[in-house]
Amino acid sequence: MTNLMAQLFPPSVLRPMELGADVSIVFAAAALLLILTRRHLWGWLWREWITTVDHKKIGIMYLIAAMLGLFRGGVDALLLRTQLALPQNTFLGAEHYNEIFTTHGTIMVFFMAMPFIFALFNIAIPLMIGARDVAFPRLNAISFWLFAFAFLLFNMSFVVGGSPNAGWTAYAPLTELRFNPGVGENYYLIALQISGIGTIATGVNFLVTILRLRAPGMALMKMPLFAWSALITSSLIIFAFPALTVALALTVLDRLFGASFFTIGHAGMPMMYVNLFWIWGHPEVYILVLPAFGIFSEVVATFSRKALFGYSAMVGSLLAISLLSYGVWVHHFFTMGAGAVVNAFFGVSTMLIAIPTGVKVFNWIFTMWGGRIRMTCAMLWQLAFIPTFVVGGATGVLLAVVPGDYQFHNSYFLVAHFHNVLIGGVVFGLFSGLYYWWPKMFGYMLNERQGKWAFWFFLIGFWVTFFPQYLLGLEGMTRRIYIYPRGLGWSLPNLVSTLGAYAMGIGFVILVYSIVYSMRHRELDLTGDPWDGRTLEWSIPSPAPEYNFAVLPKVSSRDAWWATKHAGARGVAVDEIGPVAVPRNTGAPFMLGLCFFVAGFGAVFSWWPIAVAGLAGILSLLVAGWLREPDDHLFSADEIRRSEAALGRLKA
Amino acid sequence: MSRHPQERTGRSLAAITSAMLLPRFEHHAGTFPQILGYLASLVLTLAATLLVVHHLIAPLYLPAVILLLAVVQAGIQLGFFMHLREGVGLSWQVAVLILAGIVALGIVIFSIWIMAFKSGVS
Repeated sequence: MTNLMAQLFPPSVLRPMELGADVSIVFAAAALLLILTRRHLWGWLWREWITTVDHKKIGIMYLIAAMLGLFRGGVDALLLRTQLALPQNTFLGAEHYNEIFTTHGTIMVFFMAMPFIFALFNIAIPLMIGARDVAFPRLNAISFWLFAFAFLLFNMSFVVGGSPNAGWTAYAPLTELRFNPGVGENYYLIALQISGIGTIATGVNFLVTILRLRAPGMALMKMPLFAWSALITSSLIIFAFPALTVALALTVLDRLFGASFFTIGHAGMPMMYVNLFWIWGHPEVYILVLPAFGIFSEVVATFSRKALFGYSAMVGSLLAISLLSYGVWVHHFFTMGAGAVVNAFFGVSTMLIAIPTGVKVFNWIFTMWGGRIRMTCAMLWQLAFIPTFVVGGATGVLLAVVPGDYQFHNSYFLVAHFHNVLIGGVVFGLFSGLYYWWPKMFGYMLNERQGKWAFWFFLIGFWVTFFPQYLLGLEGMTRRIYIYPRGLGWSLPNLVSTLGAYAMGIGFVILVYSIVYSMRHRELDLTGDPWDGRTLEWSIPSPAPEYNFAVLPKVSSRDAWWATKHAGARGVAVDEIGPVAVPRNTGAPFMLGLCFFVAGFGAVFSWWPIAVAGLAGILSLLVAGWLREPDDHLFSADEIRRSEAALGRLKA
Repeated sequence: MSRHPQERTGRSLAAITSAMLLPRFEHHAGTFPQILGYLASLVLTLAATLLVVHHLIAPLYLPAVILLLAVVQAGIQLGFFMHLREGVGLSWQVAVLILAGIVALGIVIFSIWIMAFKSGVS
């Protein structure tokens, strides 16, 4: 019994900070349970959300998860910056610091950015291409629940069993069992493996959706740019994620089953882990940023009231970036010591990516040129993105210069660079998309005035945080150090950087406040088209009805809704409405996620009976799902007519 | 989760409207080949594992043999799971397969190239 307790609660989870987190988790959970019970919401939760296969609701659940991830990853970031604010600071110990930067990076990439992207895919893509759902709605729900339970599993680590501590990249030999005996790395490996299954399924799902379910007449070259970016992102996922799966699986075999793929003492090859990780890792960067590029392409056209400049060049550059992204992975480990020719090859291929990216930047600028620009929050994030991302891209080119990289490598220059592109590119893009599609998700607007406060705090905070880090890198401060002495000239930039991080934190708090405020004081969007949009999602009511389109749109040009509006052809013709079948809700995806969670938890602690029970659950659910007949809910034509009439959508 | 996800959604969505562009899979081979493919994959994986764990083959030939087993398994999975012989639009399939082949081969060749320094430096 004591042994069990020692395994579940090692000293690293009994520090005051972790115990404080325990208390707040218990209180928050109790409050949530109380509210759900008092207001009799359990049935609602099960029927409307947990069992849903509706892409719009799945998107909203991804969004909630992403905001939770942003909160946890953001708190981690503030803890790190607090420790580094002053020289010789003793706020966090070395081991604690390792754990926090590991969970910060892992959560921000896998449990913030990825679900945020999938949220916007789910919410916008089917509506944009004039589809009634994704190609495989139940698989979509499975993807979500695998992700959600993996998120839960990973987040448990810091209060049960101990956090991973080998960095978000989890390099061998830092993860080698001999050097890292706790369960923390197991949490990392298993949780990422489970969410990876969901991610690959999502990639397949959106690839098929976009290739097969487009509205009649929407040729590939008439698709909105965000759909293009989703298509290319999906294929990147399918080609890249298997490399991560292999890297993680081999590490699991090393740690749990005594293999020695990366175990250096038994002639394993830790460098092969690094190689495999970045074969996935570099395309992953583009998996994150291409959707943001897609969002910006929609936002800039809408708020400049102009068609996107250079559409085909935009598509071509997306394709070029995606292909090049497979040929650059060594730039993450130039200093590993590969030959000069290897490094030169990958340095040049890396610099090549700047060309298609530059094409995109110019096209966004030319789209604004001569347009009538409206300074909404969505547009502000787009405007802030261009210079921010250009700086991040330029420092990336500096890092691609191999001899230079030997100097910059693993310094704060690198840290500043990748935050510059990941925040300035991905997070700005996701916030822009959040403001842009929020009315379509919920039927009301986000408060613009508060949104601008959040924007300015976050943007200024961003620059104040990361510009000093470039200087720190050039002054020789390496990443992942938890303490530094006085007198190196590092103290002031570190203090400034920490203040900037707090400003970003305030920006996040304002954003959350603004969401709650807007929820309370609903400024309804009754038109379905609050931004005077160009693409099909704005042709239907906000929020979209469950069947999306009463009548599937017919597309004859790019910016299909803009063309329809200006031809004066709004509204739905009554006699074209027919019955619509949508797949019925099912609890199986949730149960499947739960079984993966049980199996994963058993594997983390090597408690094999539990793991086997979980696996048996997975297997039986798969067989049950396999035997089950398809089950649809039919909206009759009358129901749809009534609902469209109530929304004032029918043609007179 | 399902035998033929595309068939199921195909059926449900076909009820919606004929105007929708549906996944076009013309004939289904049924579930038997998939079960067979799954079992064959398990057997091949087990065989590779046993060969390595129990040193059943001379170390000189071992890499070649497990590589062969892997290639056979990849073929089986493409054939039995990916509906390779069922769809229309063969040119797309060939194009994507060639791309996949280039990526897979590229990863192997480049990894060997990148790791080759090990003999030189260490």
